[in-house]
Order: sequence, then C-alpha cells, then structure tokens
Amino acid sequence: MEYDYYILFNTHTDGLVLAKKLKENNIKYTIVPTPRQLSKSCGIAIKYEHEDEKAILDIIDKHEIKILAMHSLERKNMEIKFI
Amino acid sequence: MADYRELWQKLGMDLEKHDVLCEVLPQLYGGVYLSQENRPEGMNYYNFVVAEVHGLRIKELDDHKKEGGKVVGTFCVFVPDELILAAGAIGVGLCAGSQFWIEDGEKVLPRNICPLVKAFMGAKLSGTCPYFQSCDMIIGETTCDAKKKAWEILDDYVDTYVMDLPQMKREKDHKKWAEEIYDLKEKLEKLTGNTITEEKLHEAIKLCNRKRIALQRLYNARKALDVPISGKDALLISQIAFYDNPERFIEMTNKLCDELEERIEKGISVNKKGDKRILISGTPMAVPNWKIHHIVENSGAVVVAEETCTGTRYFENLVDESPTTMDGMINALADRYLKINCACFTPNKGREEDIIRLAKEYKADGVIYNCLQFCHTYNIEYTNVEKALKEAGIPVLFIESDYSNDDVGQIQTRVEAFLEMLG
Repeated sequence: MEYDYYILFNTHTDGLVLAKKLKENNIKYTIVPTPRQLSKSCGIAIKYEHEDEKAILDIIDKHEIKILAMHSLERKNMEIKFI
Repeated sequence: MADYRELWQKLGMDLEKHDVLCEVLPQLYGGVYLSQENRPEGMNYYNFVVAEVHGLRIKELDDHKKEGGKVVGTFCVFVPDELILAAGAIGVGLCAGSQFWIEDGEKVLPRNICPLVKAFMGAKLSGTCPYFQSCDMIIGETTCDAKKKAWEILDDYVDTYVMDLPQMKREKDHKKWAEEIYDLKEKLEKLTGNTITEEKLHEAIKLCNRKRIALQRLYNARKALDVPISGKDALLISQIAFYDNPERFIEMTNKLCDELEERIEKGISVNKKGDKRILISGTPMAVPNWKIHHIVENSGAVVVAEETCTGTRYFENLVDESPTTMDGMINALADRYLKINCACFTPNKGREEDIIRLAKEYKADGVIYNCLQFCHTYNIEYTNVEKALKEAGIPVLFIESDYSNDDVGQIQTRVEAFLEMLG
C-alpha cells in the first residue's frame, strides 16, 4: 500500500511560513486543499515526501513553526467526477 | 484549519449545502490537478488560492466591506474592471462552472438554456457561493438572450445593473459603448460614494494592463515546443485572475513565468515528444469547469491555448495608456473592449481570423471547438469557423457539452479519435 503524507495547520499563515522554509531548504512539497478525511473545513495542507519527514521536523523545530498535525493517508486511485 | 463558518453565516449562506461542495471540490481538484506529474513549483500559489477559495479571499472582501468598500460581481470580459477599481471597489468575476448549481437555477429558469446561466442563478439562489453573497451589486451585460433575461430575475435577489453591449462594430456602436461605459462610471460612483477621477482611472488602466501583460507572458511560454505548463494549469490561472487580488496575482504569475522561461531554456516539459498540440476555442470555462482540458490532456495531447473568455479574449489587446482626460480614457476603454471578438457580434469575421492566427502562433495541430449546450451564438458560429479552418487546412473537432459527468466517456472517445486522425 502506498501512502501520501500531509501536514495540517491552524492557520494558512503557518502553512505559508513552513512552505517558504521548505523551499529555502530545497525540500519538495505541494500546497494542497486539506483532504476531507483529515479535516472538516476547507483550507490548506502541505503534502510532502515521507523520506523528507525528519528534515521537515527539524525545520519546524528550529523555526518554531506551529503545525496542527502530521497525517498519512492511503493513496487511492479515485474516479474523477465532475461537479 | 481556519474556520470561516461564522463569516459564511454572516453572508447568509446555506452552510449545510455549502458543505457538500466543500466535500467534493478537494477530491475533484486532487484528481484533475494534483495528479499531474512535473508541475511547475510556482503552481503552489494557485493550489493555495484554490485551497482557500471560499476562505481567505472572502475574508479579504469582508475586511474591505468593513471599511466601507463595495464588492461588485461580473460575468463577462466586456465589463471594464478598470472602472470598478477606479471607484475603489473590488471586482470579482463570478464562477458559474459547476453542475452543483444547475438544479437550483432550474427552479426559476427553463431547463433548455445554457448551463452557465443556470449555474450562476443557482449559485445565488442556493446561497452556496460566498463571492456572490459578498457582492453589493452585479454588473450584467447583453451578450446573450439567456443572460439578458436572467438579469431581470436575478435583480430580485441582488442589485443587478446591466450594460447594453452593442452587437455590431460600426462607428455608432462604438459611440454607444463609450456612453455605456460613462453610465457605468456614474453608477459605480453612486454605489461607492467615490468619484472616479482621471488619476484613479489612469492608475486602474495601468494596473489592468499589467495583469494582461502577465497573462500574455504566461501564454507566450506555452508557444514553446517543449511546453513548460499544462493547459489545465494555465486555465486555472486564467480563472483565478478573475477574482484574485490583482497586484498579488500579477506578482505570483510573473514569478511563475520566470520559472516557465527557465524550464523552456532547460527543456523541461509537461508534454512528451509527439503529443498533439491543441487550441481550444469557444465558450468560457468558469471554475470548476476543467472537463474538456482534463479529457484532452489525458488522451496524449497538450492544450496550448484557449481562444475563449477565460483565455485570450480576456487579455489580448491593451488599453491605450496615452490619453489622460476622462473622455480620452473612456474612448480608449471602449476601443480595447470592442476589439474582443465574441460570438454575440454580427458579423464576426475577426474571430475566425483570431482562431487561425492563434493556431499558427501556438503551432496547434488541431482545434477543439468547445460549445456549452444551448449557447446559440457560439453554436451557430461554428459553421463559418469550421469553413474558415478547413480552408486554412486546420483540423477541427466540435464538442457540445455541459458541466455534468454524463458525457465524459463519449467525449473521450471522440477526442481520442480526433487525435488519432491528426496522425
């Protein structure tokens, strides 16, 4: 089974601070809408590569960036339904 | 995540129904957008805008309103953003690209009209679009019969002002359009309590031109043989241009363009050698209508440009910045906007010429003419466009569709056959 890894935040500002730091450190990331399974409200999350987790945690610690949680979700090939 | 429910409630939204939309959107976005490989890093900004689409920007509109500012909604590229900005208001191009709103729209509109019109009506009636809910006024226009008559109904729900767009391009039509722009100026001044001065209008003209230049730069990057960005990403950026903060949008789009130009130099591309290059021409694609782009780009082709209102019609031709008097600027606005070749005009030879020119500029292998169901002007105009394209030796495929999922398989088959035919 393959998994996708996400970091959730209390506010989008925290997410953008981390995104900036990840970019500075050449760590690959994607800003994504928070998957519904992880949160009930709309908003941003950061999707990252599992192998970068330790480096990311170090950055979070070093810069005291507030995050809400880190989560993994099983990757599924979902059928696209246009709405 | 930040909770915007209080704000949505204040805007009179139907939270329960809106929640259904919030549930399906991330999944659709994930499937269409996040599944792409080798996306430019700069797309993170637009991911962010989508993730916060009913949040952050709505809060910005709310903050603006708290300070006494007004928000004005539009549905057409003929409505001059310059005047809205010069009046100190925020303009938002409202989206009407989802099947989600059709059912509510059909409560007051006939079923056999264009999905875009039904969707905007449904979005308002259902109270599920926070942009619509934030609007103090809507500026409509007379680009088709369905819209023209729908404004009368919409006016019962939100103050709706209508600009009468001439349907021919003679000298007297030009004069009439300039008068319409003058009338809109007065209406906006009345709404906002702000005077549109020559200085403010000139500033707004320059700002809107900068936005057009940023979009032109984005589209120019797509002319490269190694296309640095997918068509669906470019479409998303155009869609976002309609409601994002203009200064921020210009800054982020130019940053993305730096990256795209670097990609072109390094030969980093989203297409594979041999992928067919497609120009899409036709009716507007409002958020979250990504259907045709997704189908085309999932069939081994890349969309290189859109001759649509959510494409080249939005940003081609700048407003002349040299006039500084009110009359001069209004005339310059009338000039620029009347250069848009919409199918509502008769005759409309300019559009045939545009499509052929764009097909050549973007080195398109073929054109897909995409028409929203029941859009009579674009539907009828296809006959002459097809003839002109045939004469120019450019293959074309006609697709008529709505926002629903029902015909995806059928369109996919037709697109695949078309691409195969291109060789």
